[in-house]
Amino acid sequence: MNDYVNAVEIKGVTKKYDGFTLDNISFDIPKGCIMGFIGQNGAGKTTTIRSMLHITNIDSGEIKLLGLDHIKDETEIKKRITVVFDELPFHDVFNARDMARIFEGMYPEWDNDAYLKYIKRFQLPEKKKIGQFSKGMKMKLQIACALSHNAELLVMDEATTGLDPVVRDEILHIFMEYMQNGERSILMSSHITSDLEKIADMVTFIDKGKILLTGYKDEIIEIHGILKCGKEKLAEIDDEDIVSIRTNNFGAEVMVNDRENAGCKYRDCVIDPASLDDIMLYYVHRDAKEWS
Amino acid sequence: MKLYRSLIYRELKLTRKRGLLMLILFLLLALLMISPIFFGFFSMAVEGEDSPKDVIPIFVVTIALTGGILAGTNNGVQKADISSGWKRYSFILPPTARQQALSDLLTKLCYVLLFGFLSAAFAFIYTTIADYNNIAVMLNVYFGAVCATMLVDLAYSYIMMYANDKDQMKLIGILAFVGAGAIFKVFGLFPGFNKTEQTAEDGAMISEEAINRLEAVLCSGKTTLCLAAAFAVICVLFFLVMWRSHERREP
Repeated sequence: MNDYVNAVEIKGVTKKYDGFTLDNISFDIPKGCIMGFIGQNGAGKTTTIRSMLHITNIDSGEIKLLGLDHIKDETEIKKRITVVFDELPFHDVFNARDMARIFEGMYPEWDNDAYLKYIKRFQLPEKKKIGQFSKGMKMKLQIACALSHNAELLVMDEATTGLDPVVRDEILHIFMEYMQNGERSILMSSHITSDLEKIADMVTFIDKGKILLTGYKDEIIEIHGILKCGKEKLAEIDDEDIVSIRTNNFGAEVMVNDRENAGCKYRDCVIDPASLDDIMLYYVHRDAKEWS
Repeated sequence: MKLYRSLIYRELKLTRKRGLLMLILFLLLALLMISPIFFGFFSMAVEGEDSPKDVIPIFVVTIALTGGILAGTNNGVQKADISSGWKRYSFILPPTARQQALSDLLTKLCYVLLFGFLSAAFAFIYTTIADYNNIAVMLNVYFGAVCATMLVDLAYSYIMMYANDKDQMKLIGILAFVGAGAIFKVFGLFPGFNKTEQTAEDGAMISEEAINRLEAVLCSGKTTLCLAAAFAVICVLFFLVMWRSHERREP
């Protein structure tokens, strides 16, 4: 075991595909943090995660997981991390018991009691074939496997997408429990920002292969705001305060990147707090500046 | 050891249905070939030089050949892993590419041992009941068939290495099929490989001399040694191809 400050350190990572580039991205996830990784479909979330996990090779940059180099120390890293994909990667012919037999030889710290506890808690049948599981059950099984070997870093790629709100809430609750000892970290990629709003300590926004924002969730939410005003008032707002402007029949809504400062500068306007959803939406349209 | 137990358990469990079907097919064929013993076929009195026991080598060769082909053929794990997403998932699991490749080879050897044992048991039945004693033929045919099938599997596994998902797998499958057809077409252009114009009326397609030569080769201990060496080399090649396949990252 090594000592580390950041569970994930990504520095200047670039990965080029035909028609898409993950462009010099950098962000860190401090130990003990839940990082929400937000972006619309095709923004580069999965590519970032695949690069991080060395599923694909990167063109340039540096990635450290648990303080170790993601390629040089791959074997050591893999014993201490776990991943939950959006779709269950287990064969349909296996059952929950088979999965325990498969994983117990692979992970030195596999805890069969913990696994069985999760299986019971999720009310998953032990002998039923995975092929006959519902989507929710499949995700629960994947999570039970992921949480049963004392992993220090949990990476989730759109793991809650497609699940009903009850299952999602149950899963989020389990993640919160998993984080109790303060030694574990989670990277959770999703475009369902309400989930991240509930559990994330930090968020990173990615769009078109570029990191737009990264930092503590509360700070990001606090500094951003939606300024509501008439269209004629738009000319008075400084460009540097604006992320983008949403216009409608009644006026305009401007995402400002310094709520406190904007509150002082534009006293005659109302500034509402912004949600992560709003922030993502306004940042995605930042190039158009004005949209409806 | 625990790691290999897990990896091999996964592969054997995954190929259980296929293995069971192959086993049933093999046992049915063996039963069919053994049935003459129960009907007293070999103790029948016949006129002339031919003896009913002359067919025993054909039976043994057929069984060894079938066993060898079933043991050496591709077990479908690579394809199933791509379809289910396990291949991608395996990149984040602790076993290294080398360990996974070794487990692939060990699983293959499990099947080679199983069908080898069954083929030998079949030959042994004829040795004890019908007084047939030439285990070298069985061994040579069995290992020859295993080697030939494993060579095809090697090529197939190498090609499959480039598939990352179901769509790519389909495309590669079609390309491999077309490629195999093209190879047969090219072979057909060589005069030695194209004898379709020869009919049975022209005389025996294989001369007695050739049959005798083949028999001598099949009975030879040297052939066993050569095939054992070839088998060892093919196993190493199989391991290397699987290693590369597990090591190869997605583009």
